[in-house]
This record gives sequence, C-alpha cells and structure tokens, in this order.
Amino acid sequence: MKEPKNVSFGSETLPARYGLLTTDQTGKVVATNERLALWLGLDAFQMIDARFVEMLTIASRIVFETSIVPLLSLHGHVDGVSLDLTDAEGNKLPVLLSAEETGAGERKVTSFVFLLADARRAYERDLSDARTKAEDQLTTSLHEAQLREQFIAILGHDLRNPLASIRSAMNILSREPLSQRSQDIVELTNGSVRRMSLLIQNVLDFARNRLGSGIHLTVTTGTDLEAELEQVVAELRSAQADREIQLETSDLDTVRCDVSKVGQLLSNLLGNAVTYGDPSQPIQVRAVRPGADSFELSVKNYGSAIPETAMAKLFDPFVRSTSQEDQQGLGLGLHIASEIAKAHGGSLRVRSDDSFTCFTLLIPQGVSN
Amino acid sequence: MSAVARHNVKTTGSDARAMVFAHGFGCDQSMWRHVAPHFEGNFNVITFDHIGAGGSDAGGYDPAKYDTLNGYASDVVEIGEELNIRDGILVGHSVSAMIGALAHVERPDVFSTLVMVGPSPRYIDDTSYKGGFTVDDITDLLASLEENPLAWSASMAPMIVGNPDQPEHGQELADSICKLDPVIANGFARATFTSDNREDLCKISARTLILQCRDDIIASEHVGRYVHGKIPGSKFVLLDATGHCPNLTAPKEVVSAIRDFVS
Repeated sequence: MKEPKNVSFGSETLPARYGLLTTDQTGKVVATNERLALWLGLDAFQMIDARFVEMLTIASRIVFETSIVPLLSLHGHVDGVSLDLTDAEGNKLPVLLSAEETGAGERKVTSFVFLLADARRAYERDLSDARTKAEDQLTTSLHEAQLREQFIAILGHDLRNPLASIRSAMNILSREPLSQRSQDIVELTNGSVRRMSLLIQNVLDFARNRLGSGIHLTVTTGTDLEAELEQVVAELRSAQADREIQLETSDLDTVRCDVSKVGQLLSNLLGNAVTYGDPSQPIQVRAVRPGADSFELSVKNYGSAIPETAMAKLFDPFVRSTSQEDQQGLGLGLHIASEIAKAHGGSLRVRSDDSFTCFTLLIPQGVSN
Repeated sequence: MSAVARHNVKTTGSDARAMVFAHGFGCDQSMWRHVAPHFEGNFNVITFDHIGAGGSDAGGYDPAKYDTLNGYASDVVEIGEELNIRDGILVGHSVSAMIGALAHVERPDVFSTLVMVGPSPRYIDDTSYKGGFTVDDITDLLASLEENPLAWSASMAPMIVGNPDQPEHGQELADSICKLDPVIANGFARATFTSDNREDLCKISARTLILQCRDDIIASEHVGRYVHGKIPGSKFVLLDATGHCPNLTAPKEVVSAIRDFVS
C-alpha cells in the first residue's frame, strides 16, 4: 500500500476516483487527497488536524465508533464497509470504505480509502426490498396453499356422506324385483359410486399428504388382502364387462400392509390399465411373494408404450395424458399409488415398451415372520 | 440451555472475587481481550457475549424481552446466579455500563461493585439534559440500519455457530471477532439508543467507578459527569484516551484505573 506521505496535495491533475485519508492515534487527519477534498467540498489543507469521525453523518459516527473502531483494533483492517460521509453543505455522501491500522501507541496511523457508492447503495436497497417482498409473497402463498388443501380435505370428506346414501339406496333397490333395464341402471350407478369413492379417497389422501400428515396406514396381517384384491378386480370386471382381467395370487396370508390402501393402489393402477391398455388383450394382475420378506403386486397391460416425455413426470400429481382418449380425471391416480407404496416403505416402478406396460409395487419388508 | 452456555461464558483466573466484563453494542467479548487477562492473578475473570453477538446462542431470541435494556440485564443476573457470584465486580463498557447498573439494582448481593466505562443513561437530548443526539439522529441511525442491512458487511456477517467437538471451531471463533446477528443487532441498537435510565442511577448503592474518555462522541464528558453526580459516592476518572473504546485503544490506562479502584 502506498505510504500516506506520498500523497500529493494541490497537484494540477486529480488522482483517480478514490478518496484517501490518514489519521493519527487520536483520530485526527494527517493526510488526505484532492479527490476526497473535492467530494467533500473542502480544502485539502484545511482538512488537516480535523477529526475524521466528524466528517461522517451522525448515524455513521455511531456505527464507526461502536463497530468499526473495535474491528480495526482487533483485526487490523476492515474491507468494504458502507458508511456515509457528509460534505461541507451537509449532504450525505454514501461511500464504500476500507481501512488499515499500522504502528502502535503514538505512532499508530490508520489509512482509509473511499469509493463513491451511491448507485451501489441504491442497488443494495433494491435487492433488500426485493428479498423482503419475495419473502412476504412466499408466506402469503404458503398460507393460501394450506387453506386450499384444507378446503379440499373438508370437501372430500363432506362428499362421502351423500355418496354413502346413494350406495344404500342402490342396495335397497337391487333387492326389489326390477326390470332388466332397471337392473342395468342400478349396476351402472354402482359403478359410478365406486369410481367416485376412489376419486374422493385419492383427493383426500393427496390433501392430507400435502398438509404434512402423510398417508395414514392401518397395517394388519391376515387373509383380508386376497379377498380385497379379488373384490377390486370383481368390481372392475362388472363395470367393464368387455375387458378381460386376470388375477393371480399366491401365499398372501403373512403379508403386512394396509389392506384398503393396497386395494386403492390396485384400483388406481387398474383404472390406468383400462384407459391406456389394448382392449383386445387381457390385463394381468399378479400378487406374489418374490422373497421370504417381500411382497409384490403388479398390473400389466398390452398396448403402446408410455411416451418418453411422460415417463419423467408419471408419478407427479395432476399429470394427465395429452392424448385425445383421456381428458378426464385429476391425474392423481398414479401419484397416490406411488405415495401409498412409499408409506409402506416400498416403491412403485414402471416398465413400458411397445409390447406391454407393467407397474410393480414392491414392499421389501412386507411380510411378518 | 443454561445462561452460561447461551452467552458463551468464559471463566479464567483464580477462585477469588468474581469480576465480570460486559461488552457494549457493536462487538463481542473480544472487546476485553487487552484488559481482562490482567486481572486473572487476583480475580475470577468472567467474560460473555450478549445475545446475537459473538458465540452466543440466538435460538431463544425474543424481541419483546430485549425491547429495553432490562432484558439484557436479566441475562447478566442469570449468569451471576448460575456461577454463584456474591459481591462480584461488574465492569461494563458503553451501553453495558447501564446494563450492569440495572443488573446490580436487581441483585445488589450478586454485583456490589460497578465499573462503568463510557456510560450514558440516555443518548437523546431532553429539555435540560444533553445526551448528545437528537431524536432525528437516532431515527436516522435506526432507519439506516433497517434499510441497509449490508451496511456493516465487514462486521455483520452471519454468526458462525460452530461445534465445540470439531477442532476447527477454535479457528472459526478466532476469525469471527465482532460477528453480529443483523436482526438482533438492530434490536440492540434500538434498545440502546432509545433508552432512558436516568431514574435508575439514584437506585445504585454499589461502589462505583466511572471511566471517561476525551472526545467521546457516543458518551461525552458531561454525560459521564452527570452519571457521577447522580451516583452517591461514585469515583470519576477522566482518562487521557480519546474516542469511545479505551479498552481497545488505551488498555493500560483502563487496567491501572480499575486496579487502583478494586485493590
């Protein structure tokens, strides 16, 4: 660093755009440069012996005395501190300041260098404002999102009651002597009720998951699983009489899982297979124990492959096929199926090529011994 | 978490009488590193960081508690109680001179001797009282801290919270001199520069030493003399040192003045 004594006063040419100043151990100015004097509207020679701290605004004096002086003393230097000088007319002059303290006792000197920082300060202020604004918006958005999800949860819950009434009404009707046409209508209505129950369950699980409580599991071990899978397949067969659905199960008595959630997962996968599979070929459901501790459930359909672009976001919520044939549904089915798999400590994988598409649930620790 | 852990309390020296050093606004306990070690031979020397400063734990920061200096004083009392201090000496610099006085008023049995370095019971001028600053000056200060949080980039970098089990911790602390949490520092600035503790001065029953610098723009000589006049039996020493931080700029003078008073 240049020695302060080399700084020349009153030269014809001004130094580059930096201010220089040196103080003694009492904080009095012993040297400065023309540039700083010009910025302050003072005469460089008259600045000698003045106290540097008095060239700062009051606010900056406090910061300087309480924070910068200790740093200079303990660290020996400070770099890039924002302070405000005050010129002869009392105008504020924002500067960026670096300083170094050398020598000790009565020979201690402190050298300061200043750069004008008006534009930079405005930029910093803008940055800071932008950050505050972004934080506010984020808080508001998070709050609104939470309200929306609470709304969905409550709505889903409230929709179940009238649906249950329709289901009971259909049960009562089906015990009456009915014409063939009326029986068909009851059967169709039952199919719609099942479809709607599944949609509501998916939406409820989605909302609860988003609200942070996750997918609730009631894990049991027993013979219910096989019955549940058969029931799900039977329901779909009756709703889709023209589709062939094959079910193969083996050795499921010791599988530990939430039976109704695994049933919901199968319903979701079957719904997907019915929509996208080749209607002339069967859908194959397999529930087996590939290892001593694991449980696997797969749903396979024939037909064209899932497009490459869709694969990456297959398990994201609200993702739907862009093809013409399916423009209905929320796109929650595969997402919820995958969340149910995760809740069981398992995974949902997909394999898809031009011959077939197969979704596989694997629960590695899905068996109680 | 204990107050001792929360405030990064460091204890050295003998088992003798406790001498607690409290740092002011703008830095941390390293403010005392040229002074405190000189008393280790005869005293139980204790230094600590106020909340938001140095190695303190800011986890429990409650803006309401630290709205006034009393919140800071209650931390000092808590440290004194945890360390079982009786008849201790409290050396407070800058705003901590008043924080120390408040701690003494609350528990005169814990702290019975006060050393006030650059004290001021009120920084803003009042009708007949000259604190040194106008309301506008302090409003300006607080506004500039609020609106320009990057202002002290050198000193206000985020605090380093290290793990004492890791060897690099010591190095980190050495590098983190005067690190302050910007939000808490702004709160501390507000509590400090809007304080008015003039009425508390007459409640001080401790043996009291006032150390005053020349040309101190934060706490000027007549403010120091005002404090001296309000505390019965207090001793006033005008140092040759200039500025607001004699504990850093003139440690020898400060050490000898304190030694004369406490020995």
